[in-house]
Amino acid sequence: MATLPSDIPAFAEPAPAPEEAPESKREYPGALVVVEGIDGSGKSTQLYLLKRWLEIGGYRIHFTEWNSSPLVKSATRRGKQRRLLTPTTFSLLHAADFADRCERQILPLLHGGYLVLADRYIYTAFARDAARGCSPHWLRNLYSFAPIPDITFYFRAPLDVAVTRIVAGRPKLKYYEAGMDLGISLDRAESFRIFQERILGNYDQMVDTDNFVLMDGTVRVDKLQKQMRQIVAQRVNLAQFAPKSKKKKKEKQKAAL
Amino acid sequence: MKRNGNKSAAPEGAVAKAGSSKDGRKSKNGTGGSAPSRFYGIALPGVRLEELSGSLIVVEGSDGSGRSTQIALLTEWLESQGFAVQTMGLRRSYLVGEDIDALLAENAVTRTTLALMYSTDFFDQLERRILPALRSGLIVLADRYIFTLIARACIRGIGRDYLHGIYEMALRPDITFWLNVRPEIAFDREFKKAQTISYWESGRDMSLSNDLFQSFIKYQSLIKREFEYLSKRHSFKEVDGEGSVSEVNRELRKQIAAHLGIRSTHYQPSHALSHLWR
Repeated sequence: MATLPSDIPAFAEPAPAPEEAPESKREYPGALVVVEGIDGSGKSTQLYLLKRWLEIGGYRIHFTEWNSSPLVKSATRRGKQRRLLTPTTFSLLHAADFADRCERQILPLLHGGYLVLADRYIYTAFARDAARGCSPHWLRNLYSFAPIPDITFYFRAPLDVAVTRIVAGRPKLKYYEAGMDLGISLDRAESFRIFQERILGNYDQMVDTDNFVLMDGTVRVDKLQKQMRQIVAQRVNLAQFAPKSKKKKKEKQKAAL
Repeated sequence: MKRNGNKSAAPEGAVAKAGSSKDGRKSKNGTGGSAPSRFYGIALPGVRLEELSGSLIVVEGSDGSGRSTQIALLTEWLESQGFAVQTMGLRRSYLVGEDIDALLAENAVTRTTLALMYSTDFFDQLERRILPALRSGLIVLADRYIFTLIARACIRGIGRDYLHGIYEMALRPDITFWLNVRPEIAFDREFKKAQTISYWESGRDMSLSNDLFQSFIKYQSLIKREFEYLSKRHSFKEVDGEGSVSEVNRELRKQIAAHLGIRSTHYQPSHALSHLWR
């Protein structure tokens, strides 16, 4: 049987035909702002407040969150109920879900000139799936079709603070949420804590490599929100997302004065 | 029959037809053949290669190439020789098989999503059905494998390197047969079978032509070109799929027998499968 010699990585050779440019390198008029951090770091609250601020101002925005599409709901339910998910299929299922959101929402909206706000993004998969044992290199490739955010806010809270927030608010930690599939500990709370600790470590490693904007999750909510709004205003050209009719009105008003 | 991989249609009488003497195998080292199964790149977490004593045999080819027919016949032949067989194929995973069917029916799914759903389907079968089967020394017959998935995604503009990156944790088959047929022949066979041509097999999502025949031919030609490339890179055993069922089957048996160390390749399908034998 003339199979390839086992030491030659058949997939590593260069591809022969020219390929389409990766999606992430395409230019678009929109902007992408994402929040990342472990459970209980305060990121969702802060993104919600940012969203309200922009909504009230009438900006062209769209809010999207991790694992929200109906596409993989039945599969995720099936897999989780019967605990069939391996680190690989868990990761692929979430990637499929993200791809659906990316191709049908995020990319069209970015091309259509929207400011897109995402509660969790690909870094969630990098941190969490690597904590499950997936190869970081494999994960990076898996999500390479995703556009790179304009700002990635990383909300960092000490492990104890975050874990306390989550455990207090939830009657029971779910099997996969607690990382029980890793077999770290039979105690759910303990397993959750160790799993979150690993994820936190993985996040911390990405601060430099992925240009995270570090946010202190222990700062009072309104103060932190003020910082967040300032950073957004500095780094994103908000005027571009303001409703055009308003601009015209303003111009008319100015002209009238 | 789609969901359940155990399509082994072993009808009564199949075993009695085992024409060979000395109950089939005279393997070089167990049922595994001589080449150890390997991954393309990084190994799946938790898999020890030396445990995998079975053989993975892949049959690739377009719709109308005769894959399913050949796999049904090979299953019977191998079982008659005393080998236990497990099958796998596209959309047969418990985890997402039905979900992909539903997505395909809607025609609303986008290319990366579909590619990733197929990869989920693939790895679910690999990890939970195929690897256990190989550990138990079974012969796994794969009705299509990663090559079809790569070819389909590639011609839709998804980067080859991207796909290779995802499937580097796939197991390298012991033998990959490619039943090569011209698109025109595949069209005739498919049309005869179903009286129409499927939306996806004619690549209608790619807007190649409004004419169904033209679309099918163009699409299958693109796939074929990808396969020619994959064939070289992965040392496919190319088989002329336009030959008669019995001719193709004889060729496949010959090569599988050599791999498994079976002496006799004599085979006559049982009554239950004789309708396939033309």
